[in-house]
Amino acid sequence: MLKKLLKYDLKYMFKVVVIFYGLSLIFALLTRIFLNIENSFIMYVIGQICNGCMISMLFNILINNLMRLWARFKQNFYGDESYLTHTLPIDKKTLYLSKMLSTIITLFTSFVVIVLTIFIAYYSNDFVDMVKNMLFPLSDAYNVNIVLIILAFAFILFLEILNIVQVGYTGLILGHRKNNLKVWLSIVYGFIAMTISQLFVLLILFVIALFNKDILNLIFTNEMISIESTKIIIYLSIVLYTFIIIVENFINIKLFKKGVDVD
Amino acid sequence: MELLKCINLNKSFGNKKILKDINFTIPKGKIIGLLGKNGTGKSTLIKLINDLLTITSGEILINGESIGVESKKIISYLPERTYLDKSMSVDEVITYFSEFYDNFDAKKARKLLKDLDLDTTQKLSKMSKGMQEKVCLVLVMSRKADLYILDEPLGGVDPATRDYILDTILSNFNEGASVIISTHLISDIERILDEVIFIDDGKIILTSSSDELREKENASIDEVFRRMFKC
Repeated sequence: MLKKLLKYDLKYMFKVVVIFYGLSLIFALLTRIFLNIENSFIMYVIGQICNGCMISMLFNILINNLMRLWARFKQNFYGDESYLTHTLPIDKKTLYLSKMLSTIITLFTSFVVIVLTIFIAYYSNDFVDMVKNMLFPLSDAYNVNIVLIILAFAFILFLEILNIVQVGYTGLILGHRKNNLKVWLSIVYGFIAMTISQLFVLLILFVIALFNKDILNLIFTNEMISIESTKIIIYLSIVLYTFIIIVENFINIKLFKKGVDVD
Repeated sequence: MELLKCINLNKSFGNKKILKDINFTIPKGKIIGLLGKNGTGKSTLIKLINDLLTITSGEILINGESIGVESKKIISYLPERTYLDKSMSVDEVITYFSEFYDNFDAKKARKLLKDLDLDTTQKLSKMSKGMQEKVCLVLVMSRKADLYILDEPLGGVDPATRDYILDTILSNFNEGASVIISTHLISDIERILDEVIFIDDGKIILTSSSDELREKENASIDEVFRRMFKC
């Protein structure tokens, strides 16, 4: 049943975001073509316009993803379609897991498309050298490949966005347990859940700072962040966000299994 | 054996009590009218049976078991609103029902939709509300369920469509199954009812066999209802 649910959730998501995927890739290609034509002011201007369009498409992919994921969650579980969703012979946990898996898959696909778009538009030896120079101190400190550093940052960003989507789900579940002002309360609860998760991250960071001078300096002084601190923070971010997402997921499933009160 | 049993069922929204100590049983193979004025708790009761609301206190048993995956397999429910994803075509909705309900008869659904002269490639969003409601009814009645729950199937439709709806219900429900029809338009359905449950202000005020009630009161169920709920 999970497979079937997932199929419909992904179909709903991709039928719109795929348009933005296509547009962002087309604009990336046009940006590359026009910006590589030398000695032509008009081509340069067109290239810049395409570049702007491409960047706006990239933002659109992310925003559209978030909005559609939340809208789908609300419509499926608390809107008109909930009358079908909750009467399907499927347990609540499976219903929720389908939403989480479709969230992970669509966010991951969007990340891949964003990276691909940037690669098509800007890839050149100069661009690679610039990235290498920027990340060299870190790769040196870790003694790992630069690609791995980029992947680590991308993974943290992915986890952060996944966390944002999931606290949105927590907000929707809690908001719809009330009898009135469900939408407003969903937003409020979402912000509260987000604040709690961020406070938790800060608290752990503070605890670590008690034993680590570098991290302590990062919190209480304006000193430049050291490579050592960055290393700790990267590890910490991955571990903490993964932990938070797992805990939130567990709480959401618990709340959801208690039942719903549809409109 | 009882198909559905409600025991001391209560539902509140905040301090407001919507259903108060509801007790009744539904046997197999009967058509039951859940009758009451607007806003008396009929839809709330139906939503509770379908796991769309949480129970404040009490219990609902379907074939002796609490509401869950098993009960949803044997209940076919028609809500009072159109509840399908409107971006889907009728063909896609039929596929959806076939995938999720083992007891859905796609052939039967297609035949009933063909009788309506409906283009199944059409998206639901392109259809009138009335047509969407007919599609929902056809889908619900195309399941070989043990219990059909129809919430206000006649609400807001013209007399000709009411006849179509009643005929579709009568000629398509699974043999041996029970049907609960919630409505306040009693004159239209009383001819098909085996039993009636009158609900008012969140309480069940009468349960009876239709024939017995008619005989006892020497009046039609519609008249009995009008007398009881006179404003």
